[in-house]
Amino acid sequence: MILTLSSRRKLITVAIGFFAGLILLIELYPIGITLLNGFRRDIVILSGQGFSFDQITGRSYEMVFANRQYMAGLWNSVVVGLLSTALSVSFGAMAAYGISRFRFAGRNVLAYSFLVFRMLPQMSLVVALYMMFRAIGLRDTIWGITLAHTSFNAPYVIWLLIPFFITVDRAFEEAAMIDGCSRWKTFLLVFVPLARPGLVVAAVFSFINSWNEFLYALILTGVRAKTAPVAVSGMIGGEVLTWGQMCAASSIMLAPVFIFTLWMQKYLIRGISVGGVKG
Amino acid sequence: MKSFRGPATSRTEGAGFFKGAGGFGSPVPFLIPALLIVFAVLIFPILFAFFVSLFEWPLSAGAGPRTFIGLGNYVTLSRDPGFWNSLWLQLGFIFIAIPIEMVLGFLAALLLNREFRGGNLVRALLLLPVFFLPVVSGMTWRFMLQPRYGALNNLLVALGAPPTTWLAQARTAYAAVIAQDVWRMWPFVFMLMYAGLAGIPDELIEAAEIDGASYRQRVFSVIIPVLYPTILTTLLLRIIDALRIFSEVYVMTEGGPGMSTTLFSLYTHRIAFGHMRMGLSSAMAIFLLILSILFAVTLVRKNLSLDELEQRGGGR
Repeated sequence: MILTLSSRRKLITVAIGFFAGLILLIELYPIGITLLNGFRRDIVILSGQGFSFDQITGRSYEMVFANRQYMAGLWNSVVVGLLSTALSVSFGAMAAYGISRFRFAGRNVLAYSFLVFRMLPQMSLVVALYMMFRAIGLRDTIWGITLAHTSFNAPYVIWLLIPFFITVDRAFEEAAMIDGCSRWKTFLLVFVPLARPGLVVAAVFSFINSWNEFLYALILTGVRAKTAPVAVSGMIGGEVLTWGQMCAASSIMLAPVFIFTLWMQKYLIRGISVGGVKG
Repeated sequence: MKSFRGPATSRTEGAGFFKGAGGFGSPVPFLIPALLIVFAVLIFPILFAFFVSLFEWPLSAGAGPRTFIGLGNYVTLSRDPGFWNSLWLQLGFIFIAIPIEMVLGFLAALLLNREFRGGNLVRALLLLPVFFLPVVSGMTWRFMLQPRYGALNNLLVALGAPPTTWLAQARTAYAAVIAQDVWRMWPFVFMLMYAGLAGIPDELIEAAEIDGASYRQRVFSVIIPVLYPTILTTLLLRIIDALRIFSEVYVMTEGGPGMSTTLFSLYTHRIAFGHMRMGLSSAMAIFLLILSILFAVTLVRKNLSLDELEQRGGGR
């Protein structure tokens, strides 16, 4: 850019700084109060008084950690997240390998169908899944909800991985195969280690997708397999007087998401370009 | 530089059906596990949903018999004011929230697309709302809009206005649902736009500037046309996302008051698990499915190409 006057330039910089600050204030305020109210007593929150440092207390966190329903939900969320991630990444990596390393009739149609499947609204599937799971006894089980989460995670992983896989040089695999390795051995021993960065990104994103997921968990689980988002929303019930606990419970849910988000920043664009953000 | 092992050569080598790129092995075993999952939890449920939609299908056996009624549920929907209400609310949501998000995201990307101190931090922090759990976002907004202790009312009361029960009135509740979405998702647009802008070569804009183009001309005649594919992708992603909005609204208003925020997914949910009419709700599910597939296919065909990915990545 060609700049005319240095004073004008300074003015623009100040204006942009001001503008950026304003945006951040608006965008971070709701997040801030959620994190903050987790450390305030309900009575203080409900009285609507302003914040002061002597209000800070760990009481809500203590109560949340003693809340069995929530802790069970948190545990289920971790288990379902890990299981669904393991399934999606292993099956997804295989499929992405099949698509990026072979040419076959219907290859494009197959690849694009995975992407379209990824974008289907959960509501359009959940009624049928509910009836199916009820019929075969998968409702309210860890495996049922894991399978449901895999339905959006596996297609997602495939499309997240294809671009990664394409950039991995085929020479190593070809050398291995010339040396007599089978396709499978080549895939597992040569290709997977080379593709590890992509696999890590895919694993992190599928875990977050599963961690944040609400609708399937709401419909397909009950007392036993309930995940944390459903447990948190269950705290609302009617006129809420336990905002402090809800905010503490929410903050615990947010922590891994925010950490991963900031850690994975450079892959986020790719992550969200293949199917938006999951609700 | 393209290597000899680039996709152009392998295409001719392995043109046969299910034949490997190097003529070695078959892709089928690699694809089967994912295909099984997709069949079990996507294709079969879709077929099943269509099947169920042809029946009057009460959830519990005691509630009446299961009867085949053909396209009866679709006819019922076309005459159901609740269905049309949810459709209008959904369209209104898409036509109000998304343009605001697109404009805000684009303008912010234009403004922040330059070096300034703390720029990276600002951009990183702007990501947080996008990844704020939808359920938590709905709860936080519900809290902020509380008439007695919510932040918004505290602010308004401090300014001398009477407290408002935002979520208890149809119009303000709908506006709040839209505001929540705009708050959370314009940074999503910003992220994609910012990445798009960063990809425009400086020379292009400098050339326009040397040719005497004003800032406005540069934006409208250079930046927007070059950014058009990104804009289109973002728009389609937002529409697809907006079509499935559920959890935030469910937590914020549960579709109320009355039916005023019963967007499409919320009405489907209400028919299925409130009224226990699985046939009717499956018909709605199929309708939503077709709508989403139309947008998704448009997005995929216009914006994502395997060949292009390979052109870019295959030579490395």
